[in-house]
Amino acid sequence: MLRLTALLVALLAASSAAASAADVEAGRRKSAPCATCHGPDGNAVLPGTPSLAGQPTFFTHWQLIKYRDGRRQDPQMSPFAQNLSDADMGDLAAFYAAQSPRARGSLVDPAKVTAGRPLADRHHCTSCHTPALTGQQQVPLLAGQDLAYLLKLLRGFRNGTASDLDGTMTMAARPLTLEEVEALAHYIASLTPR
Amino acid sequence: MRRTVAIATTSLLLAASSTWLMSASAQQPRPGWKQGQPPEMENSPLAPVPQPPAPKAPGEIPVAKIKLPPGFKASLWAHGLSNARAMTWGDKGTLFVSSRVAGNVYAVVDKGSAREVKTIAKGLNLPNGVAFKNGTLYIAEIHRITKMDGIEDKLDSPPAMTVVYETLPKDAPHGWKYLAFGPDGKLYFNIGAPCNICIPPDTHANISRINPDGTGFEYWAHGVRNSVGFDWHPVTKELYFTTHARDWLGEDVPSDRFDHAPRKGLHFGFPYCHQGDIPDPEFGKGRSCSEFAPPLIKTGPHVAGNGVMFYTGSMFPPEYQNRAFLAQRGAWNRTQKTGYKVMMVTLRAGDVPKYEVFAEGFLENNQPWGRPVYTTQMKDGSMLLADDFAGAIYRITYQK
Repeated sequence: MLRLTALLVALLAASSAAASAADVEAGRRKSAPCATCHGPDGNAVLPGTPSLAGQPTFFTHWQLIKYRDGRRQDPQMSPFAQNLSDADMGDLAAFYAAQSPRARGSLVDPAKVTAGRPLADRHHCTSCHTPALTGQQQVPLLAGQDLAYLLKLLRGFRNGTASDLDGTMTMAARPLTLEEVEALAHYIASLTPR
Repeated sequence: MRRTVAIATTSLLLAASSTWLMSASAQQPRPGWKQGQPPEMENSPLAPVPQPPAPKAPGEIPVAKIKLPPGFKASLWAHGLSNARAMTWGDKGTLFVSSRVAGNVYAVVDKGSAREVKTIAKGLNLPNGVAFKNGTLYIAEIHRITKMDGIEDKLDSPPAMTVVYETLPKDAPHGWKYLAFGPDGKLYFNIGAPCNICIPPDTHANISRINPDGTGFEYWAHGVRNSVGFDWHPVTKELYFTTHARDWLGEDVPSDRFDHAPRKGLHFGFPYCHQGDIPDPEFGKGRSCSEFAPPLIKTGPHVAGNGVMFYTGSMFPPEYQNRAFLAQRGAWNRTQKTGYKVMMVTLRAGDVPKYEVFAEGFLENNQPWGRPVYTTQMKDGSMLLADDFAGAIYRITYQK
């Protein structure tokens, strides 16, 4: 059973500083601890770690909220999110959105890339992630993302174990075979973010 | 009518749910909001309005833009409640507030000049439903209903949530629930259609009820696509509810609905017939709209009516007594947005109900700054209005 993990108390009078206009430069300063894994400009190099550069602000902000409240869990990420305020998250999201994304250059299998291309349409990935899979609003940029990370997430959604904001990804990934998951991930990793 | 089974067992619910998923998987389901989109609209820019990740600061909430009838005034009552949705009062004056994608449940303590907001549960699965009775708060997520006993004495260290009922479908589309106690002491909630338009399993597209101890599950209303707001008339004690109609059938059709379900077992048409007189182009074949209960009011296309509340207070003028207030969260599937208003309905014996605007002004240049989603009444007869987009609650008062 889900248990309460913490209690947030916010005196309304004291919280008027919360969540106003996000600040890219403040986000750059606050991103220092993130840079070790995600790269100084949000372009990560560690396999299995996602790049954040160019991600839509709503996406990054929502993921940080989910790490903070425990809906999304990761041994490395969860502790970082625990002490972030809404304003911190807004600033970080604005900073990463302002960075230019680069393709990760994951080693992809051309046969799987070819097999994956039609799956992106057939499984309606493009409906929310946009035709070039560059993301929008709360929906992430996928094109050129790290292959190992894409595989981990897609397998998780398929198995119903990855955290989902509103169920859409779990529903989309459930019909995929494991081979299709591989093909889709290789195809997505082969794209260039723009 | 196809439906003959009125009582669901656990196995029936689970079996039907998984059958739906299996058949859907063969068809590569689109995301719920894209289902039913005609091919010629494939490149339509229309998409659901995304929920901002954080609530707005007071300075960003233009509460003075809320337009009301003469004598009424709106003020910012509470803020900082990310995604604030349904509200219910505790016995000791605590306001409990739900959310949807934020996953939180809040307790608001009125300190006179200011409100203190405490997050009493977080990380939940779209916990849209909250109801309170005899010291206990009930919370409805997609897949289960839980409770916290004695919560008002433990706001700073909330008790564990204990399960009341969990044999519910896990489908996310329209799976979030409104939750309320009926005059019969039972807990009512919706199980929405798991799609924009589809033949739902027999277990979905309804309003259901259980005893507060989780026993006695039964369906109350059928053919209800997605009702996330209902209330009972103060005099007749009969159930009235709003329903969101399907998308992608057009800018002006079908209308959303305000419905009346005075007895158990009525079918309100989904997915065969919309707004009482439009057969669904795909699923309406071989069916007739006359088979189904018509809407009491066609509330307008895509208005997205959520909250329903009959007014029983003494602050508003006498003609407001027993009027229903409908909070409409507003359209996404329409070029010119509709809804984003609080409407009011005056029921009149032997005549059509009067349907008119109460609060508007949440849209600017076809973009919302706020979305009215649920209302509740304060002891003094003023009204609270929750805005899930701004993460705020407004208080509406009247003075002659």
